[in-house]
Amino acid sequence: MPIEMSKYLGIYVTEATEHLEALGRELVELEKNAADSLVDSMFRHAHSVKGMAAAMGYEASAVLAHRLEDIVQLVRGDRSKLNGDLVDLLLAATDALMEQVRAAAENREAPQPDELLGRLTGTVSALTGRAPAPTRVLQAAPPTPSQPPSPPADAPAGASNFHGRWAIQLRVAASCQVPGVRAFLVYKRLCNAGQIFELRPPIESLRSGRIPEGLISLELETSAPASEIESLVKNIAEVELLSLQQVKPAAVEPGSQEPSAASKSASQEAHRTVRIRTELLDYFLENAGELLLASANMREWGKGLPAQIRTQFNEGVDRLQLLVKDLHGKVMSSRMMPLASVTDRFPRATRDLARRHGKEVDLVITGAEVELDRAIIDSVSDPLLHLLRNCVDHGIEEPKQREDVKKGPRGRILLGVRRTQDRVAIELEDDGRGMDAEKLKAIAKERGLITAAAAAKMSDNEAYLLACLPGISTATGVTDTSGRGVGLDAVKKAVENLGGKFEIESRRGRGTRFVLDLPLTVSVVNLMLAKVCDEVVGLPITKVLGAAEVDSGKLSSSRDSTFLPHENSLLPVYELAALLRWPSAPTSGARPYIVTEGEAGKVALAVDKLLGQEEVVLKVLPAPLQLIPGLSGVSILGSGRPIFILDVPRLLEHELAAS
Amino acid sequence: MAKRVLVVDDAIFMRNMIKDIFMSGGLEVVGEASNGLEAVEKYKELKPDLTTMDIVMPFKSGIEATRDIIKENDKAVVVMCSALGQESLVMEAIEAGASDFIVKPFRSDDVLAVVKKVLGEE
Repeated sequence: MPIEMSKYLGIYVTEATEHLEALGRELVELEKNAADSLVDSMFRHAHSVKGMAAAMGYEASAVLAHRLEDIVQLVRGDRSKLNGDLVDLLLAATDALMEQVRAAAENREAPQPDELLGRLTGTVSALTGRAPAPTRVLQAAPPTPSQPPSPPADAPAGASNFHGRWAIQLRVAASCQVPGVRAFLVYKRLCNAGQIFELRPPIESLRSGRIPEGLISLELETSAPASEIESLVKNIAEVELLSLQQVKPAAVEPGSQEPSAASKSASQEAHRTVRIRTELLDYFLENAGELLLASANMREWGKGLPAQIRTQFNEGVDRLQLLVKDLHGKVMSSRMMPLASVTDRFPRATRDLARRHGKEVDLVITGAEVELDRAIIDSVSDPLLHLLRNCVDHGIEEPKQREDVKKGPRGRILLGVRRTQDRVAIELEDDGRGMDAEKLKAIAKERGLITAAAAAKMSDNEAYLLACLPGISTATGVTDTSGRGVGLDAVKKAVENLGGKFEIESRRGRGTRFVLDLPLTVSVVNLMLAKVCDEVVGLPITKVLGAAEVDSGKLSSSRDSTFLPHENSLLPVYELAALLRWPSAPTSGARPYIVTEGEAGKVALAVDKLLGQEEVVLKVLPAPLQLIPGLSGVSILGSGRPIFILDVPRLLEHELAAS
Repeated sequence: MAKRVLVVDDAIFMRNMIKDIFMSGGLEVVGEASNGLEAVEKYKELKPDLTTMDIVMPFKSGIEATRDIIKENDKAVVVMCSALGQESLVMEAIEAGASDFIVKPFRSDDVLAVVKKVLGEE
C-alpha cells in the first residue's frame, strides 16, 4: 500500500467488509433465486471491492475480486453455468477476500491465495475459452481525498447517457397511522419513475413500518427532471420531501457507479452515527443505574430535612430523578442491536452444513430487524447457531427419506422473531422428523432422572425438555445422538440466565419448534466474586477499590477492632460472614481481603477466597428477599449457580445500627 | 369543474359517509357500487376522475377490481379504503396500481387531503 493511502485504510476495511458480507449473503440466496437484481447486486459488490482494493494497492485482493466479478458476469449472461460447485468456489473467494481485508486492518500479511486464484482463473478460462483480463492495480499516486477511492479499471469510457441520479430524502409524517404502507406507496411511485438504489431502511423494513423517525433515503436513477420527481412526491399525503440532489450522471454499466455511491452513503451515515466501544456502553449503563440508585437515596435523606427546605430539596430531587430516568432509558436504547447482526451469518452456515450432510435446506428468516440489548444478542448467538445446527443435522431428513414420506426433497427451517411489549420470542422451526416424547421419557426413566409416576404425568412438551438434561439422547435417530443433549442443555441454561424461557414443541414426522422467550433488555453488572462460608457472593466491580491477600500477623489490632495496612493507611476490617450473619469458623494465616468504600470511608472485608470477575445479568430481588438489608440483587453465574449481589454500605450501616 | 368520484363499498353506511365527506370538499359523487364486479362496470360507464375502493367485498375483491380498472385505463386514479391491520392487502393493491389509500375510521380532513393530493389539486 502506498504510504499516502494509509488514511483510507479505515474506510476501505469498513466498506469492503460490508460489500463482502452482502456478497456472501447473496451467493447463498442465489442458489434459490437467481433473479437479475440479485446477480446485478453481486456484480456491483465484487466490482466495488475490486476497485477499492486496486486503489489501495492490494494486488491479490484486487485480482481475487476481479475473478469473482468475471464469474458473476458470466452467470449474469447465462444462468445455466450456475451450480453448487461454482457457488462453493465463489464463497471460498469471498471468504479469502474477507481474510485479506482483515489482514489489512490488522496490518499483517495475508496468506497468498495462489491455489484459489488458480481455480478461479481456470474456471473463467473454462467458461469463456480464454484467459481473464489482467487486473490493474494502483501502485503509486493515490487519488485526492475529494475523489472516490478508485476509478474502476475497466469502466467503459464516456458511456454515460441522459439519465440522472438523484439522492432523495423523505419523511413520513409522525401522525401517519400506517407508515409502512405510506412508505411503500412512495417507493412504488418512485419505482415507476426509474430505478432505485441505496434504499434505507431496506424495503422489508419499509413495508413493515420500521422507519426510524420516519426518515427514508434513496437514490433514484431516472430520465425524469427534478420538477417531475418533486411533484411525484408532493402528490402523496403524509410525506415530506426533505431534499433532492443530483448525484451525478449515471453510466451504462451498473457496477461503475458503485464506489462513489457507496462511499457517499457511508459518509452520510457517518454524520448520523458513531461507533462506540461496547465497554464504554457497559460503563454508561452501569453508571446510569448507579445514578438512579443515588437519586433514590437522596429522596430518603430528604425526609430528615426541616420542612422549610424540604419542599425545595424534593423539587430538586424530582427533577434530578426525571433526568436520570430519561438518561437511563436512552443509554438502554443505545445498547440495542438488531438480531440480524447474529442471524446474518445463518443462511451461509445453513448452506454449508446442509451441503456437508448431503441435505437440501432452505432457511427463511423473518423479523431479524427486531432490536435487543447487546448482552442478549451476545448470549443468544451461540445457542441459536446450535439450534440451527441441530435442525439441519438431526431434524431435517435426507432428501431421499423426505420424498419417501412425501415431503419434498428440500427441508425448510423458519427463524422468526416476534416482539411483544417488553419481550421478544425467537422461534426456530424445522419441518423434519420431529422428536419422540415417549422415547425420551423411557430413557430418562432408565437413567433414573425421573420416576415412572413423573413420566406418566408429563406432557409431551415437558418431555421434549428432557432432551435438555445433560447426557440424554435417544439412540434411534429420532432426536439422534452426539451432543444433542449436552447442547440443548446449554441452550436452555443460556436462555434462563437471561431471565427467559425455553420451550420445545414437536410433532413426530412433522417437525420441531424451539421457542426462546426473552426479555428485551437486561441490566449487566461486572462483579467481583468471593467465597464466604461456602457461598459465593458478588460485589459490583465499580465498588471494589482493591484486593489483597494478607497474613493475619500483619494486621494491627486496637481494643476490639482489627485494621489492615493499605496504601499508607489503616482500614477497619470486617468479616463479611459476620456482616451477613453467616456462621463461620475463626481462621488464621493468610487470607484475602476486598477493599471497598463504606459510608465512613474505606473498609477491608475479609472473605474466604477471591473467585475473580464475571459479567452477569442483574435481577431484582423477589419479595420478600428485598427486605434483607445489604442485598442489592441476585444473579445466576455462567455455571448456573445463583448468587447474591451485596450492597456493602447498607450492610455496614446495618451492622453499626445493630451494635 | 368539480372532480367526479365513484364510491365503491359494500356497506351503505360507509358509502354515505364517504359521499358526505366528498360533498363537503366540493367533489361530485357520480356513482356508487357495492361490489367489485359492479365497480368495474360503473368505472367503464362513468369514467370518473377518482374511484374510492373498499378492499373486502363480495364477488370480486377491491384488489381485483383495481387491477381490472387499471387494465382498462392505466391512468385511472383508485384510492383504497382500508382498515388498520390490512397493510399487506393495501400494499398488494398498490402493486396492482392503486394510487393511494385512506384509513378507516375516516376523518374528513385526512380523506380530503389524500384525495386532493392524488388529484394534483394541491
